[in-house]
Amino acid sequence: MIIELFYAEGCQQCLRNRETLKATAQQTLPDMVWREINVLEEIDYAVELGILTLPAIAIDQELVFTRLPSVAQLTQALNERITKEKSYGN
Amino acid sequence: MLTIGKVAATAQISTDALRYYEREGLIKPSSISEGGYRLYNQDAVMRLHFIKQAQACGFTLSEIRELLLLSQHSTACCNDVRQLAIEKKLQLEAKIKVLKVMSSSLDAMITNCSNHTLPVTDCPILEAIADIHEVKKP
Repeated sequence: MIIELFYAEGCQQCLRNRETLKATAQQTLPDMVWREINVLEEIDYAVELGILTLPAIAIDQELVFTRLPSVAQLTQALNERITKEKSYGN
Repeated sequence: MLTIGKVAATAQISTDALRYYEREGLIKPSSISEGGYRLYNQDAVMRLHFIKQAQACGFTLSEIRELLLLSQHSTACCNDVRQLAIEKKLQLEAKIKVLKVMSSSLDAMITNCSNHTLPVTDCPILEAIADIHEVKKP
């Protein structure tokens, strides 16, 4: 699973809980890939995902959060995806 | 001091637009004359210039109000404005993407309409648009 945090340079709010969220994701999914993307460097990709505001988080190239989630919200979103992936796998 | 007519002419907008900006809280007269007319100072002219420039960059009036508030907020910094500008750019890029898809759709229709002398009832462009509409029906 790839988790992508889109931010703007200088945006304090964008990276406020970054480390906590990253640690949460790693704990839930040890083999996940965490990317932090400066939106101006990958603007076409951000537009493709439908990102209009910052910060934003995409999971597996799908826009999931249009603002930074709480730890509980991120955990829930990841667990839902894990469950969905397992059900597709069966 | 400038009257509403003069300040509007200087900013190249209509007096109705100026009154509308006033109702939207973007600008206000610096005083009212004894006869009840609105009077504006040079700051108002500069503010109108700012509003016009911001509109040219795609900002809506409510976003311009936010920019103006930020510019007066002592704790705000350039990064706050920069973030609004980046988000506006994202919105514009998203619109451009949609417009490009629309333009490509028209390209395909124009190319398919090679027989220019067909009666309008057999026009492939109108048929294609009707087909698009058909697909979208529930």
